[in-house]
Amino acid sequence: MNILWLAIEGLARKKSRNLLTMTGVLIGVFALTMIVALGQGLSHAVTDTVSGSDNLRQIGLTGGYGIELSNNPADVTIEGEMEEDRRERLRRAAVNRRQIRQWSGRRINEIDDKTIAELSKLPHVESIMPVIVERYTFEGAIKSDGSLTGGLDVNRRRYADRVIAGRYFSADDADEIILHEYMLYKLGLLTGKDYDAVLGKTVTLRSIVNAGDDPTANAPPQLRDFMDSLSDEERAAMMKILPKLMQQFGQMAQAARKPVQREMTIVGVLRETVPGDVFNVIEDGNAVQTDVFMPQETARSLFNESAINRELGYPRALVLVDDPENAPAVEQALRDKGFTAFSVASVLQQVETMLTVITVIIAFLTGIALIVSTLGIVNTMITSVLERTREIGIFKAVGATNWQVQAVFLAESALIGLAGGLAGLATAVLAMIPGDAIAGSLISERAAVPYTGSVFVVPLWLALAGPALGMATAILAAILPARRAARIDPVKALRHD
Amino acid sequence: MTELIVSATRLSREYRLGTETVHALREVDFTVETGEFVALLGRSGSGKSTLLNLLGGLDQPTRGSIVVAGRELAALNATDLSLYRRTTVGFIFQSFNLVTSLRAWENVALPLVFQGVGRLERKRRAHELLESVGLGKRTNHVPSQMSGGEQQRVAIARALVNSPRMLLCDEPTGNLDTGTSAQIMELLQQAHRQGATLVMVTHDPELARRHASRTMRMADGQFVPDAQPQEAA
Repeated sequence: MNILWLAIEGLARKKSRNLLTMTGVLIGVFALTMIVALGQGLSHAVTDTVSGSDNLRQIGLTGGYGIELSNNPADVTIEGEMEEDRRERLRRAAVNRRQIRQWSGRRINEIDDKTIAELSKLPHVESIMPVIVERYTFEGAIKSDGSLTGGLDVNRRRYADRVIAGRYFSADDADEIILHEYMLYKLGLLTGKDYDAVLGKTVTLRSIVNAGDDPTANAPPQLRDFMDSLSDEERAAMMKILPKLMQQFGQMAQAARKPVQREMTIVGVLRETVPGDVFNVIEDGNAVQTDVFMPQETARSLFNESAINRELGYPRALVLVDDPENAPAVEQALRDKGFTAFSVASVLQQVETMLTVITVIIAFLTGIALIVSTLGIVNTMITSVLERTREIGIFKAVGATNWQVQAVFLAESALIGLAGGLAGLATAVLAMIPGDAIAGSLISERAAVPYTGSVFVVPLWLALAGPALGMATAILAAILPARRAARIDPVKALRHD
Repeated sequence: MTELIVSATRLSREYRLGTETVHALREVDFTVETGEFVALLGRSGSGKSTLLNLLGGLDQPTRGSIVVAGRELAALNATDLSLYRRTTVGFIFQSFNLVTSLRAWENVALPLVFQGVGRLERKRRAHELLESVGLGKRTNHVPSQMSGGEQQRVAIARALVNSPRMLLCDEPTGNLDTGTSAQIMELLQQAHRQGATLVMVTHDPELARRHASRTMRMADGQFVPDAQPQEAA
């Protein structure tokens, strides 16, 4: 306590110099706190967005290429007698070919009702539901040349709380649709009266079939380029036979793509998501652009009416696992069967790892500021020791031990560090208020789902670590100057001017 | 015969000045009885200040033995020397050596700070001592607001705050005018009467004759017979 008093008294003598030194620590701790708090905040933001709902139980499933080989290059072996550099070359070639196979060629494992039934038997799989996103035209009470539709799991009453007019679906296979308020707004329907005019009405849903007068309208761009490159005579000749040719193909395509048509009843209006709504990244990813919702089974049966759809299978499916803990195991099991699977949990883990790495790297860079401030402290303390040589002599003459002399200077430095650290923490916390507002508006400009949490998060450990770090570096910086003070010869010091 | 508080035998102190070795003290034998007032006379560089520093434990001898209050100072480590200074001796310097930023009472209480005495108790004892040296009204002044005589009185109060057995005074009146010097010497005499042993370094034979119970003259690091008063500088 007494040493502390001496230290404070010593500091008070050179207020401006010590304040400057303290500012160095302040800047260092401020920057570090901001960076780490941002890292924490982003990590929280990611976690908050996906946790809570069923996110961590869900796995996205897409068709695979049937690759059951390991992707690990270390597992690749090249047989036969050869020089080592050739073996290495061939090993690299083998690895490259494996990797390419993942992204090219036709999928071997499609997702259809058969594979869904099969995969549903995997342990810990609660259900597998195809994700159906299709574009249909509507005619009748409302008119649309093509709106994105999506299926909703009625059993789990998905989006039931977002119905603002009318009612929710009556059954999982009812021929009912719920329209997004934005779609109605674009159609000029806004009031309850407008809604009443369409609710309960029927519309005709049709699959989109393109057939125009230009036989090349639906042709691939290469064909059109080819047509453009022909001379006028050639093109005229070509145009004579092309319609016949296209008709041939068209009839084949028409057969495969027999237009789907069904009468649907408009039963409700769905509002846009607001903060607090459940958002499952995989399940709801497409819903942010969907205008027309229908029961899952209805969407499924419409999808399967098309022969080409039946042939190609569902583009995606959603696997629901019984417990988040089992998600990684199920994910691996699906991959082992040759499908492409990704769970939110594993993506989350990757994102968090990345965030941590980035935070640590930037924190180290920011730490340079703290190192610079440490040099400032060393400088201040050396100057202080020199200036106070005589005083140190007096301290020793009246019975201060070397350790006590050293402690006075260590305490002074520690106080500079602590004060700088606390001030840095306080500045950082203050700076987070406008920082949050700016980051918040940046996020809401770009994100599909509003995020209301804070971008900067200061956990207790960080609040303690900032000032503690400031103090610790300050003490380290003062060790040498303080030792020097302790070793001063009192006889010489007392004659010092 | 009274008890010896200081007993030094064949005491030498040498130090290096560049390539030369300076013999500040050459095999000096020296004793002080408890309660004595010894004056050390001599020119500057005669070794009297070196001897005083050795007595005060601010410095240690190159050779020889110096026992003060039963302790062999030559054998003490730095910490034990600090404790010795803290408990056994009080210093009074020619240039006062007060901490310029501290108030009078804080200067007086400085030795107590290193003993871990609490602030209230420090203040109480400092005020008591300042009262006894006639500065009861100036406890909150800093050195720059006081005259030389007042500053030296603060220094005396500081030297006495630990109730040391021995006061070591290095030219205590060297920076003061005659009138003020008399007051300071009176305070030292008072401490002496109250039982403290005093060793005072001075170059003023008149001062030594008037106050000391014994005078020792030094020259060139050794004691010399005190026969030529005119030699005083």
